[in-house]
Amino acid sequence: MQNDTERQDLRRHIKEAVASNDAGAAVRHARRLLAAAPSKPADVMFCASAFTGIAEALTNDLRAKRLKTYIVRSVTVEPILPFLTTEAVLSNYVLDLTVGGYGSYVDELLNPQSALARSKPDLVLILLDLEDIAGRLPDLCADGIGNGVEAEIEESVARVAQLLKNFRSGNSARILFQGCVVPDRTSLGDVAEANLPHSLANAISQLNQRLAALCRTISDCVFFDVDHLAARHGRANWRDARMFLASRLPVSSASFGAYAGGLVRSLSPLFRAPRKVLCTDLDNTLWGGVLGEEGPEGIATGTAFPGNCYLEYQRYLKQLSSRGILLAVVSKNNDADVREAFQVRAADLGLTLDNFVATKISWNEKATSIRELAEELSLGLDSFVFVDDNPVECEAIRQQLPEVAVLAAPVDEPWKLVDLLSAQSFFDAAVVTNDDVNRLNEYKAQAQRAELANSAGNRDEFLASLEIVCTFLSALDAPFARSVQLLAKTNQFNLTTRRHSAAEVEEFASVAGGQAIAVRVRDRFGDAGVVGLSLARTQGDTCSIDSLLLSCRVIGRGIETALLAHLGQNAIRTGATRLVGEFIPTKKNAPCADFYLDHGFVQAPSPADASPNSIFYQLDLTIAAPESPKWLTLEGKESNEFSASAVVAS
Amino acid sequence: MSSQQVPSSLRDILADVLEISPEEVTPELGVGTIDTWDSFRHLQAILAIEGEYNVQLDPSRIPELTTVSLIQAELIAKGATL
Repeated sequence: MQNDTERQDLRRHIKEAVASNDAGAAVRHARRLLAAAPSKPADVMFCASAFTGIAEALTNDLRAKRLKTYIVRSVTVEPILPFLTTEAVLSNYVLDLTVGGYGSYVDELLNPQSALARSKPDLVLILLDLEDIAGRLPDLCADGIGNGVEAEIEESVARVAQLLKNFRSGNSARILFQGCVVPDRTSLGDVAEANLPHSLANAISQLNQRLAALCRTISDCVFFDVDHLAARHGRANWRDARMFLASRLPVSSASFGAYAGGLVRSLSPLFRAPRKVLCTDLDNTLWGGVLGEEGPEGIATGTAFPGNCYLEYQRYLKQLSSRGILLAVVSKNNDADVREAFQVRAADLGLTLDNFVATKISWNEKATSIRELAEELSLGLDSFVFVDDNPVECEAIRQQLPEVAVLAAPVDEPWKLVDLLSAQSFFDAAVVTNDDVNRLNEYKAQAQRAELANSAGNRDEFLASLEIVCTFLSALDAPFARSVQLLAKTNQFNLTTRRHSAAEVEEFASVAGGQAIAVRVRDRFGDAGVVGLSLARTQGDTCSIDSLLLSCRVIGRGIETALLAHLGQNAIRTGATRLVGEFIPTKKNAPCADFYLDHGFVQAPSPADASPNSIFYQLDLTIAAPESPKWLTLEGKESNEFSASAVVAS
Repeated sequence: MSSQQVPSSLRDILADVLEISPEEVTPELGVGTIDTWDSFRHLQAILAIEGEYNVQLDPSRIPELTTVSLIQAELIAKGATL
């Protein structure tokens, strides 16, 4: 617990940081000030006010994402806003908040001229009460028999569907839709609530499931399971009946922080890709004890305490791995000892060495090992998480590789590690695609390819030996979620790095002369899945390439050329004689800076409305259209099959 | 009257909520006497004060507690240690 002097000191530091526009220091001190649990409401308001004063510095210096946010609501949210502002900044978002009217949420969502529609926000939070979503449920469920309960749920979901679909048809903002909280006490009592099929508790769980399923069908929309959050923090104290009845305040003031934190965590996957790799230490992290001292029989793992604490962690890692998070060992140990331990203690371990994409077991600096891993896997350091019990190792990574997220394993309380890990949002994803699930095999195949590259003679021969097949398909069927995910997370080979929303991709696919193409790649080692995307539009004689990107896993195999060639053929079919490419330099996309020049384009003048950073290139399609490399086999190229879905002739 | 007459803990909370300096929190300060003290800030202030002193105020009294001195008197009546 902080004493008052520490509090005042931290507040003074924050004030000074704000005065000197030092966003980093302001956030650092605020984090400490608010670490006291529960934090004082006045401190939260103080921080919110401080952050509002340095919004520019937060965006410019800390690269916080600034989101124009509109809150559609039927309840009082104003006292919660400072908590939302503060939690958002601690997760590196700056929310510019606008709050809609109490009773006007229907009009806001349906009317194309509403304040919401006109403000064109990046994000809409839809926070309604049960009364507004399914107000008749409490009465219909009162006898637990529930005539009409199903019908009421059906109608409620249909009504929400109409609101969301209507809004989506005219607006590309990301949407967070909040579910309902199961009331803590009802006239039926706990036993009947649990046992009767149509109790209110059961009905609301069912309603929430249906609403979540609805949200899955709306692009760029997440369901916010506020009931789960309420259960975690304790239903009894989640709501303050006094303040709800007097002021329509949906959560008690003691829960404001938890509520705001939950909201921010739920909206985050709409804007940020999850991290991809977890690097774990071994001694006193993956298992108890030090292998080098205690030998394979001496380390703690297995079904008995305390070994089961480590087994829990191993199982948790395996679960992460099954949805595509890559696991790696980064340990200072003797490689042979570790292999022996995994063999001798196989029955007591929840993981085998096969579950890891790579192992870095040596006496090298761990920062060096992680850097090597990043290079081998072609992933940015900001995709990495590092877990280690040694505070010195943790601090070294924090200082040398600040992009890596570091989690200190609690060496004296190993049962806490899983909770600590799951409390972090860095692996949060609203969608998991088949490509995610297959990632481990894909990355392992990459290592095998690297081996073959060393043995094959020349490049063309090597590439031909991979037997690469490219399949072109509409971005809408890639599946669609994967296409949008690619736009959101591809950095290195991304010519314009435009993070389009799903709605914007749909626009390219459906507009006259537009094309939205995805490319799927497989070779003799495995299926890499959908790895590339291109968006373009022909107007008059010119086809302009808005976006062209390729996952860094498959760069250098001619797939980018095949994608450009395919796009060029489509452009010709839509009547284009000129192909215009655009390159917007970023910190990360230098590898594709010369892409257009390498493909015979020449630099072209920028259009008047172009951004000053853009560099334009053009190619006369009547002289030479780009061609696909010989070593690639192409599929899905038949124009008839293709043009129906993704190319609309102008 | 000066801010010295307001207990420092109460003064600091109100200063944070109303985004003013503690010296500006005088017993006469109230809803409508400064721009930032509107009905939503009022609710915010009351909730923050309830949390700080661990008291619950009667919702029908909340709209009547329109000045610092009225809030202070209500807290004392509720047995809060200021």
